[in-house]
Amino acid sequence: MSTLEGYVRPDGRVGLRNHALVLSTVALANRWAELTAAGHEDALLVTGETIRGGRGGDMPAQQELLDALVRHPNTGCALVLTQDPISAETLRNAFAGLGKPVEVLALLDQDGMERAVHRSREALGKLISAGGAKRQPIGLEHLSIALECGGSDPTSALASNAAIGRFVDRVIDAGGTAMISETVEFIGAEEIVSKRTPDPDLRQRILDFIRTREVWHSEDGEDYRGVNPTAENIAGGLTTLVEKSLGAVAKSGTRDFVGALAYGERPSRSGLHFMDTPFFTPLSLTGMVQGGCNVVLFGLGQFNPSANPLVPTIKVCGNEKTVANWRDAIDIDASTLLTGAQDLDGLADTIQSTIADCSRGALCAAERWREGQIFFPRESAPL
Amino acid sequence: MHEGEFRRVLVVDAGDNVGTLIDDRTDLLAHSGGPVEAGVPYGHKIALQDIACGGEVIKYGVTIGTATKPIAAGAHVHVHNVSELDE
Repeated sequence: MSTLEGYVRPDGRVGLRNHALVLSTVALANRWAELTAAGHEDALLVTGETIRGGRGGDMPAQQELLDALVRHPNTGCALVLTQDPISAETLRNAFAGLGKPVEVLALLDQDGMERAVHRSREALGKLISAGGAKRQPIGLEHLSIALECGGSDPTSALASNAAIGRFVDRVIDAGGTAMISETVEFIGAEEIVSKRTPDPDLRQRILDFIRTREVWHSEDGEDYRGVNPTAENIAGGLTTLVEKSLGAVAKSGTRDFVGALAYGERPSRSGLHFMDTPFFTPLSLTGMVQGGCNVVLFGLGQFNPSANPLVPTIKVCGNEKTVANWRDAIDIDASTLLTGAQDLDGLADTIQSTIADCSRGALCAAERWREGQIFFPRESAPL
Repeated sequence: MHEGEFRRVLVVDAGDNVGTLIDDRTDLLAHSGGPVEAGVPYGHKIALQDIACGGEVIKYGVTIGTATKPIAAGAHVHVHNVSELDE
């Protein structure tokens, strides 16, 4: 099997990418960031709906996310673009001594759009040439996997999620890290999670995350247990909520949970973690990437284009028809498990070699199509 | 048509009493372990053995529901004869 390679960062974390990040910290600077990134083929543009005047915990949460993106091990260097000089100074101080090239520019420090774009492109060019990080061989213990599924159908639990789960067991046993999220998918699977969480405090923390979102759901006048599995799920062959939940949980493999993380929180140890996130895929992925994941394994039934721009998002699909129709947007055909052409260990090998190829520079399908967004949940209406 | 051919059924765990049909050919009336009720769609489950009324329905080695009527080996196992587990 081909070797994994990665960029070992000064903080000890390992990236599978060495992105030149062009990050807009407030939507006012998004267009400037777009024009800047358009001038460099290798630039990774990340703009979002980042706002001013957020209330409660929303502004600190937004700052923490932006900070985590610059610090992320897949970021090799970063050009950070913002609106005003005071914000720029604060950001400059925050990123000083990070051990990677970072430059912060404020739009209001410029004198006209054309010169602003010229200056930012020039700054980006300097950051890229200052980089110089080299890939070196790494082990499975350096993987931190975000687990996700979308477009779930009857093949998901049987093929893609099962294959991902088998690979996750292998990574956990090697000392690596994985996280599973989308809390509402665990409604109905409490008993399974409990059995796999020997630490009683940790178990309670996970159950509380699940319970809290179920209560939100009922406060919105809906009963999750009453409407799941959905009519579509039932037409597809799913019979009970437990059966549906098991399918989603299958991608986490079989090892014990060792951590229960709040949205975006970085794990303090290796192993399998639960992260409390909303079910909308781009939000959920953003939380796990903020938490430091360096690769995403994404199980599909029907096609789903979601991905994260900073982190290679590898699509694994068990539905033969979807694979046939979306061959150019799917990385791994797991329908071989259903036809008997491959077993779970064979597919776990395929996942490992796909990640290895990806770590040595091959683009995954989502990267070829430049899919993916950075989103984050907002709790309050802005001022 | 399809003389002697079996519908493909996937059984996840050795302890399961249901399997999932992963085969579009709904006119085939057998799988390698026995009969299959006609017309059961792709992705749906069949019983691998007789399940009594009130018996556990087991998939992934886990009880996923309770039979609400007797289910014969080969019969369609779905919302018409299985209920959610009592909480």
